[in-house]
Amino acid sequence: MLSEATMENRHGPPGVNSRSLSAAHSAADLEVLREIENVYFQPSSEFDAGRYVLEHAPTTSCDEIEQVFTKLKRQQQVVSGKALHLISQQRDNCDKEFKEIQNIREQLTTTLQTCQKAREQLRAASNHLTISTFVILANFRKRQIIRSVLKSLELLRSLRSVETDVAELLLKKEYYGAIELILKSKKAASSHKEYTCIADLATRLQDTLDMTEEKLDAILASICYRFDEIIFRKLRKAYALLGKTQAAMEQLHMHYSSAVNESSIEAVKNYVGDTIDMKFQDMCMSVQPTKAPICLLNLCENLFLIMKSYYLLVDWHAKYDGEESIPISNNVFEIEKNVSREYIRQKLNAGLVRIWHDVQAKVSTFLKSSGLEEYPFEKFIQMLGILRKLTQVAEVFCGDKSDLLQDFIKTQSVLYIKNYHKGRMEELKLFLENEGWEQCPVKSTFNLLNLQEFKQFKKYLSVRSDTSLVKTQSDGASSVHSQDDSVYISKYFKQNTSHTPFEIFRCENITNDDIFGLEPELVSDDSDDEPEELKRDFVDENDRLPNESPSKVKDSVIVTNTTLSVLRHCGQYLQICRYLPQISLEVVMLMNQLFDYYFFTAHLFFTVDLNVASTTLYTPKLNSVLKRIRNNIDVANAGDVDKIPCPDPPQHLNLGIEESLHGLSERIVAVESVIFLAKQYEILQPYLESIVSSHQRMILEYFKDNTLAVVQDLRIPVYMCSASKAVDARTALIAMSQVKWDVKNVAVEHSAYVDMIIRKIQVFALRLENIATKVTLNSEILNSIWSTLSKFIVHLLVEGFSNATKCSNGGRGLMQLDYRQLFLKLEKISGLKPVPFQDYVDKYVKAYYLPRKGLEEFVLERVEYSNKHLMALVTCACENKKDRQALSAIIESRDSAV
Amino acid sequence: MSESYEYLFKFLVIGSAGTGKSSLLNNFIGNKFKEDRCHTIGVEFGSKIVNIGGKSTKLQIWDTAGQERFRSVTRSYYRGAAGALLVYDITSRDSFNALANWLRDARTLASPNIVILLVGNKKDMEEAREVTFTEASQFAQENELMFLETSAKTGENVEEAFLKCSKTILAKIETGELDPERIGSGIQYGTGTSKRLAAPKKPARTPSDCACHV
Repeated sequence: MLSEATMENRHGPPGVNSRSLSAAHSAADLEVLREIENVYFQPSSEFDAGRYVLEHAPTTSCDEIEQVFTKLKRQQQVVSGKALHLISQQRDNCDKEFKEIQNIREQLTTTLQTCQKAREQLRAASNHLTISTFVILANFRKRQIIRSVLKSLELLRSLRSVETDVAELLLKKEYYGAIELILKSKKAASSHKEYTCIADLATRLQDTLDMTEEKLDAILASICYRFDEIIFRKLRKAYALLGKTQAAMEQLHMHYSSAVNESSIEAVKNYVGDTIDMKFQDMCMSVQPTKAPICLLNLCENLFLIMKSYYLLVDWHAKYDGEESIPISNNVFEIEKNVSREYIRQKLNAGLVRIWHDVQAKVSTFLKSSGLEEYPFEKFIQMLGILRKLTQVAEVFCGDKSDLLQDFIKTQSVLYIKNYHKGRMEELKLFLENEGWEQCPVKSTFNLLNLQEFKQFKKYLSVRSDTSLVKTQSDGASSVHSQDDSVYISKYFKQNTSHTPFEIFRCENITNDDIFGLEPELVSDDSDDEPEELKRDFVDENDRLPNESPSKVKDSVIVTNTTLSVLRHCGQYLQICRYLPQISLEVVMLMNQLFDYYFFTAHLFFTVDLNVASTTLYTPKLNSVLKRIRNNIDVANAGDVDKIPCPDPPQHLNLGIEESLHGLSERIVAVESVIFLAKQYEILQPYLESIVSSHQRMILEYFKDNTLAVVQDLRIPVYMCSASKAVDARTALIAMSQVKWDVKNVAVEHSAYVDMIIRKIQVFALRLENIATKVTLNSEILNSIWSTLSKFIVHLLVEGFSNATKCSNGGRGLMQLDYRQLFLKLEKISGLKPVPFQDYVDKYVKAYYLPRKGLEEFVLERVEYSNKHLMALVTCACENKKDRQALSAIIESRDSAV
Repeated sequence: MSESYEYLFKFLVIGSAGTGKSSLLNNFIGNKFKEDRCHTIGVEFGSKIVNIGGKSTKLQIWDTAGQERFRSVTRSYYRGAAGALLVYDITSRDSFNALANWLRDARTLASPNIVILLVGNKKDMEEAREVTFTEASQFAQENELMFLETSAKTGENVEEAFLKCSKTILAKIETGELDPERIGSGIQYGTGTSKRLAAPKKPARTPSDCACHV
C-alpha cells in the first residue's frame, strides 16, 4: 500500500515543487498545468520532448516562437514548482516509507538467517539420522550377499578338496564317511549348477566316486586274504549307502575266486625261477622236488587264509545279518531288501563249496605236477599230513568230505607206495646179494617190537602166544580223532588267531603222529627202557658158554642183517598204513612181497646145488608158494619191467667147502631167518587184519596159511643140499652093491658100508658142532638137520637095497640089521628119538615078506617109492613069474595114472 | 626211478663204534643230523648219484656197524668194495688206535686196490679233541691213505670225503690201475654207459649126479 502511494505520485507532472506553487500561483498554475499537452507526460524513454517541440514550433514569426517559448517556459516553471511541491509534500511519507522499508529489510535479514539456521540444522539432523541407517542397511545387505558368495566359494573349495578328504577318510577306514562325503558333494554340486566351474567339479566328483569305489573294491578284495569284521562292517555300510550291497557281494565272490588263484601263484612263485608267462600248472611242474613240501605247505597255508576269511565272512553274516533283519512287511522296498539278503545268504553258502572246490583244484594241480611219488618217505608223509589236514579243514569249512582229494591221496599214495616199494625191493635185492648170511647177534628174546620202527605199534601187538588178545582199537580210535580234529581245526577259523593248522609242519621236530594228529604213544614203563633195551639188544658173545651144547639152546634167534632190514621196512610200511588207512591192503600186500622175495631168494641161493631129485623134498604147499612167487619174479632175467628182478646169486658164498658142510651155516642162517621172519609176520597178522577191511582179511589169512605157515618146509630142501653131501652117495651105493643079499643065513654082523656111513655121519656131527659155535642152533634146527640127514640116509638105503637084484630072506634080514644098526648110531649121534623116516626103509624092506595080495596093495599105494624101487622089490619078492609080470604091469601103469 | 649213471662204486664206511659213520652217510645222502642215534645194527645202506669230473656215478654205500659183535656180519659186505671211508672220532683216542685193525680188515677182505680215505669225524667238537691233525695225517701218509677231517653234524667236508674218494677211484680207472671189468673190483658200468657189465652168469643147477631118487 505504500508503494501505491508512490506510484500515484509518480504519475503526477514532474519538475514543480508543490509548496511554491500553492504559495504563488495556485489557481493560475493549475490552469497552466491543464494546458500542458498530454504528450509530455509520456516517459522520456518513449518520447523526446525536445524533438517534439521543435517539430511543432511555428515557423512563421518570431513572436509566435516567443510566445510558445514563454508558454513553455511558464509551463516548465509550473511543472517544476508543482513537482517540487509534490516532492516536499511527499517527503515525510517518503521518509516514513523509507523507515518502513528499512525495517522490513531488517526483518527479512533475520528471517533469512533463521531460515538458513533451520536449514542447516535440518541438514545436520538428516545427516545424522537417515543416511547412516541406510548405509548400515545397505552394508548389511551387501554382507549378506558376500556371505552367500563366500559360502558358495567355500563349498566350491570343499568340493575341490573332496578328493583329498576322501583319501584321508579312506585312510582312516571311514568308508561310509567317504562315500557319504562324495554323495553329499555331488548333491551340493548339482544344486550349484549356476557356477560354471561346477560342471568340471561334478565330473571330478564322479571320478572321485569311481576311484573311491575302486578303492573300496580293493579293500573288499583284501578281505579275501584277511577278514576283518570292523572293516567289513564299514565296507558294508558304505556299499549300502551306494546301494550296491548285492553287487558288492557278487564282487566279493569274484575276489575270492581270484584270491585263490593269486595266492596259489604267490605260494608257488618263490620256488620257481622264471615265472613270466607261466601257467600255474607249469609253475607247479618246475618246482624242485626238494622244495615241493614247503611249497605245498605255503600253498595250503595261503589257501587256508582265504578259506578262513570266507568262513568268517559267512559266519559274520549268519551272526549279524539277522540283527538287522526287518520284520516281514508289505513295504516293497523292504521285501526287495529281504530278497536280496536271502540271495546273499544262499550265495555265501554255495560259495563255501565253490571255494573249497577251487582250493582243491589248485592243490590237485600242484600235486599232479609235483611228482609226489619221488619224494623221500619223510617228505611224503609230511605232504600227506598236509593234505590230510587240508581235508580236515575242508570238513570244518564246508562239511565236504573232499572225495576228490581223498581219491587223489589214495591214488597218489598207492603210486607212492608202489614206487617206494620198488626202491625198497631194489634195496632188498642189493642187501640179499651182499648178504653174508651170518647170524646177527641179537638177544634171544628179540622180536620185531624191539625195533624202533615198531615202537608205536607195541600196544597193538602182542608177542604172547595168545595173539587173539591183540587190541584192535584202531577203528574206534580213528572216528574219535576226526571228532577232535574238527574241534581242533575250528580253532584256527577264529578271527583273532593268526595261526594256521599248517604251522606245525614248519616245526623241525614234528613227528608224524603230530602231523596226523594221532594219539601220542603212551610212554609206558616198557617203552621207557626201550632205548636201553635197544642198546643191549644184542647178546654179548661172552654170555653164552662156548661149550654149551647146542641142543640146550632153547631160544635162538637167527636173523640176518637183511632180515632186520626187511622188518624195518615192514615197520615203515605200517607207519605209512597208519597215515593211509585207506590203502592198508595195498601196503600189506607189498609188505608181504618183501617177505616173498626174501623167502624166494633164500630158496634160490641155497638150493642151487641140490643134487637130489626133489619130489618128496618139497611139500605141495611149498611148491605152490614158490611157484606163486616165481611168477612175479623175472627169473629169466629178461628185463621184464612188470616183474621183480631176480637177485643175482652171490659170488662171495662158497657153498662147496666140505669142512663147512657145504655152507650149512649160511644155509641155516638163511632158512631160519626166513622162519623167524615168518614168525614176525605172524605176530603182525592180527594187527594187519585190524587195519584192513573185513572182506580183505581173507587175503591175509590166505597168505598166513599158504605162505607163512609153509616156510618151515624150506628146511628140508635147503638142508638136504648139505645133508646129501655128508655121505657120498656114489661110494655108499657101490659099497652096498658089494654086499651079498642072497645069503642063506642071517648074518650077525652088519655090513661094512654101515660103518662107513656112520663115520661120515660122525664127521658131519663134528662139523655141525663147529657150526654151532658160530650160529645158535636150537634143538628144532638140529632136529630138522638130522631128520633131513636121516631122510637122505633112508633114501640112500632104499636106493642101495633096490639095487639088489637078488635077495634072500637072509639078505632081507641083513638089510634090517644094517639099517637098525645105522639108526641106532644115528639116534645116538643126532639125539633124535626115534630117528624119523625109518619107516621108509623099514616098510620097503619088509614089503618083501608081504603076500601077493599085500604086495599088490603096497605097489598100488606106496607112491613114495619109485618104479625102479618097486620093480626091484617085486623082482626079489615074487618067485612066481606070472605074479611078477602082473605087478610089473601095475607099477608101469602107475606112471600113466599119475 | 629213471636214474642213469656211468659207473657204480661200492663204498664202505668202517671204523669203531660211535665214530659217526651212520651220521656221515646220512648227512651225505641228505638226511638230518640226529644227536643220539642208536648203534647201527649190522649194515645199513645208502646210495647217491654224484657227478665226478662230468661223469655221473652212483655210490652204493654200505654203512657198517662198528660194534665188535657185528664184525662177522659186516665182514661179508667188505668184499669187492672199491672205496672206503675209514672213520675215527677225533675226540676218541681209542677209535684212532683201532684204525690199524680196521685197515687190515679192509685191505684183506675188500678188493686189494681199495681206495681208502681216512676220516677224522666230529671236527665240530674241537674242545674235546684227543687226536691231532698232524698225527692222523702221519698215520694216513704211512698207510697211503687220503685224509680229511669232517663233521657230520655241520656237514663240513662230508661230501668232499665221498667225492675225493670217488675221484681217486675214477682217476685210477682212467689210468688203467683199476679195471672195472674185473670181478670184485667194486665198480660196475651203469645204465648210462654203452659198455655194460654182463650179468654174472648164474651157476646152473648141477644136474643130479646122484643116482638116488629121493
